[in-house]
Amino acid sequence: MRPLSHRLIAVLLLCATGFARADGMLMMRIPMRAEIVFAYAKSSIEEHGYSVAHIQLCDGGMTDFGYKTDFYRVLFFGKLAEVRRISEKYPELVSYVPLKLAVIAEKDDTLLTVLNPEVLAPYFADAEVQIQLSRWHSDLESILDDVRRSIGKRIAHAD
Amino acid sequence: MQKFPLLRRLCALLLAFAAAQAAAAPDGLELYIAHCSACHRVEGQGGIGLPLPAEKLAEVTDDYLHKTIRLGRPGRVMPAFERLSDAQVDAIVRFLRERTETKDPGFDNDQVVGDAAHGELVYNEHCIKCHAADGTGEGEGTGVTQSRERSFLVMPASISNSGFLGSASDRMIHTVVEHGRRWSGMPAFGDGKLSDGDINDVVAYVRSFEQRQSAPEAIGPDERPTHIYESPHDFETTIANIKTALTGANFRIFPDRFVEQGVTDEFSVNQRQVGIRFCNFNVLYGMLKIEPRLGIVLPCRITVMERPDGTVIMAIPNLRVVSRWFNNDELVGLWDQMEETFTEIIDEVTL
Repeated sequence: MRPLSHRLIAVLLLCATGFARADGMLMMRIPMRAEIVFAYAKSSIEEHGYSVAHIQLCDGGMTDFGYKTDFYRVLFFGKLAEVRRISEKYPELVSYVPLKLAVIAEKDDTLLTVLNPEVLAPYFADAEVQIQLSRWHSDLESILDDVRRSIGKRIAHAD
Repeated sequence: MQKFPLLRRLCALLLAFAAAQAAAAPDGLELYIAHCSACHRVEGQGGIGLPLPAEKLAEVTDDYLHKTIRLGRPGRVMPAFERLSDAQVDAIVRFLRERTETKDPGFDNDQVVGDAAHGELVYNEHCIKCHAADGTGEGEGTGVTQSRERSFLVMPASISNSGFLGSASDRMIHTVVEHGRRWSGMPAFGDGKLSDGDINDVVAYVRSFEQRQSAPEAIGPDERPTHIYESPHDFETTIANIKTALTGANFRIFPDRFVEQGVTDEFSVNQRQVGIRFCNFNVLYGMLKIEPRLGIVLPCRITVMERPDGTVIMAIPNLRVVSRWFNNDELVGLWDQMEETFTEIIDEVTL
């Protein structure tokens, strides 16, 4: 394929809508280094009212054990009221909270991957759970969208 | 006074119509960026998904591309994009054509007539080494990532996959066998190695894989996303027993984390709900080479919760359910092993 210009990539990041819904997950590729995308993702999560509960340094763990790996981190995030309600009323969902966003480097690109909460919907008849899963889905799309737009602006300004 | 006012008005109308049409037509580039680039990368270099070079696209029809997007490759990572409209799929195909400056090679959709029994003999002699006896492709790899070491530039196609068989015409398969695919290392068999009749027989044999397809696994009526076990022990003893069992099973245990930890202050956190997190880095490293997106379910965790009535429960994700979300058959065996290990751990804890 012919290479896309930096400016075109910026425009696409700013304008594109929708995500790769690869079965159980939402995914987005950002043509920017993982350390930078990670910072944007963390900030977007917080701007959506979630607390970042924990950062799992998968790359650090694997490196400590002698494995070669690129940047690979997972952001855990949640809202207290939601986490509390789920652990009290829906223990079957507790394994899936806090929510997780994986930030994976692939050379100079970064892959953002998150479980699509909608895949859990068929297992629950309860309307409250359905609403919760749908709200998470919408928030996750919005978080990823914001990261894409922010990076697009950054690339556009750098040109 | 304007010259040719009617002509001017007509031109303006035509331009407005063209602009409206352009605005209404789905934008292939935008759709590709949104739905395909995460795996195939922005310029089609491949990553989690296969590379999409001009050489490859020149050998496949628009119909093949359209159906591949629609059907995906069950169990081979590529999802089926069922939510896109036909117009959107066509727009992606047009974009791929424009970007690679390729054209539909125009294979017909006529059925190739051949002797599948003889085709099997030919297949076993010439094709089995790369495509395997069951047509699923050689060795490790489903085209998941370019960054891992493997024996081929691109993993041999899973030619028994229902997505492939539903997308490729007989003529396309015949042409690939006859001329090979230089870019991927697939040799040509039409240069004296195999006769046209032999190739027809191989096509008939490959097509016979369709009869061996099993229906996709549906959600069972009793299937739940999490296994919930009640512990016969108190909260502290349950945690201690889990840790002993995990150590015995060769897992590294991370510091405990309360379920609410990090989303509230340390004084408000419920300390009777704790996640015991663990990992076997050797197993993890092997799994990440097969499926780099595993991070969304990491690390392994058993959540222990004391209920208001004093009972203690343990929650573990159902790995059979989790495995479906990745559409990656290579992981299934590993998930099953993990599930077995978890069951043994729970058995030990609840003794």
